[in-house]
Amino acid sequence: MNGRQMEAVGLGELKVANRPDQVLVCYGLGSCVGLALYDPVVRVGAMVHVVLPESSMGRGREAPPGKYADTGVEAALAALVDAGASRSRLIAKAAGGARMLRLAGSNPRLDIGARNTEAVRAALARHQIKLVAEDMGGTYGRTLQLYIETGRVLVSTVGRGEREL
Amino acid sequence: MKLQPSQWKALEDMVTQALAESSRSLSKMTTGEIRLDAPHLSFLPLKDLPGVAGGPDAVVTAVYVGIEGELQGHLILLFQPHEARAMVDLLLGHPAGTCRKLDELGRSALAEVGNICGSAFINAIADRSGLEVRPTPPLLVEDMAGAILQTVATDLLLTGDEALVITTAFNGAVPGHFLLMPTTESMARLITTLEAIR
Repeated sequence: MNGRQMEAVGLGELKVANRPDQVLVCYGLGSCVGLALYDPVVRVGAMVHVVLPESSMGRGREAPPGKYADTGVEAALAALVDAGASRSRLIAKAAGGARMLRLAGSNPRLDIGARNTEAVRAALARHQIKLVAEDMGGTYGRTLQLYIETGRVLVSTVGRGEREL
Repeated sequence: MKLQPSQWKALEDMVTQALAESSRSLSKMTTGEIRLDAPHLSFLPLKDLPGVAGGPDAVVTAVYVGIEGELQGHLILLFQPHEARAMVDLLLGHPAGTCRKLDELGRSALAEVGNICGSAFINAIADRSGLEVRPTPPLLVEDMAGAILQTVATDLLLTGDEALVITTAFNGAVPGHFLLMPTTESMARLITTLEAIR
């Protein structure tokens, strides 16, 4: 990691990066989905930390740009275009959407992971962005990294190692 | 959530009662005495919740108990993995350092702690507010703190922005976090009921 600057993308945040030393990271994704978008020509990337599937769930309360899948994807695309990226060149990769507390209670709202996964896929499809790789579902946490210099995307887990998407 | 001093007091008294009952039950389960230290209560913004136990990618051992009934919420007991192993030694009456890896016995001992503390909290709530609540069976998870807490934070984010965090230690030696996280409506209801009864 010499000289690399890790930039954490927290709950509901959206970050855009264009310096080769930058690495965008969603730490400890559970039911949330981390979405990495990258334009390999201009080497600009973005990461969104999606918490909930739809902005209609917010009941009109103010929310950070990446909180919902629908508005988060839209905001990320706009920010990337602003930063010089081209929509047609964007490569999308995603991780997360797990069901961490699968046995606990009967609260159906706790299975938000699967809904987040579907909502991110749907939002990307609406904007004709192809999701080229993903590591979603299961019952374990993930950390997602996007290296701005190369566009490399890594997913790491506890006890299941690390892999490139 | 802004609480009046009298509301804080009512909440603290309830938590203290729950921890005292937890201590009694835990001591009965083991050979020695297990005492939970005086709690520290605070409200934490939900966005900071995944960082509460050493950062969102720190590995933690968590025991989760859901709260259902007239109040809805979540109770989570959090340990750093070495603290969880120290807790197992304490529970099984083994010399410190015996437990090196969390095996089936250790896991069920920790789950039982969740069961006991969950029941103690629910009894204290029922006792002081008259509200009827019940715990779900405990669930033990070892994973990134962020991944575990995020799932619960997400549920709470639908209605609010804060979680009530209770920090305590077992016998002054094994630190643990208790996260008692009622939904916003449930928190308001709990406070109102505690006040009315006082």
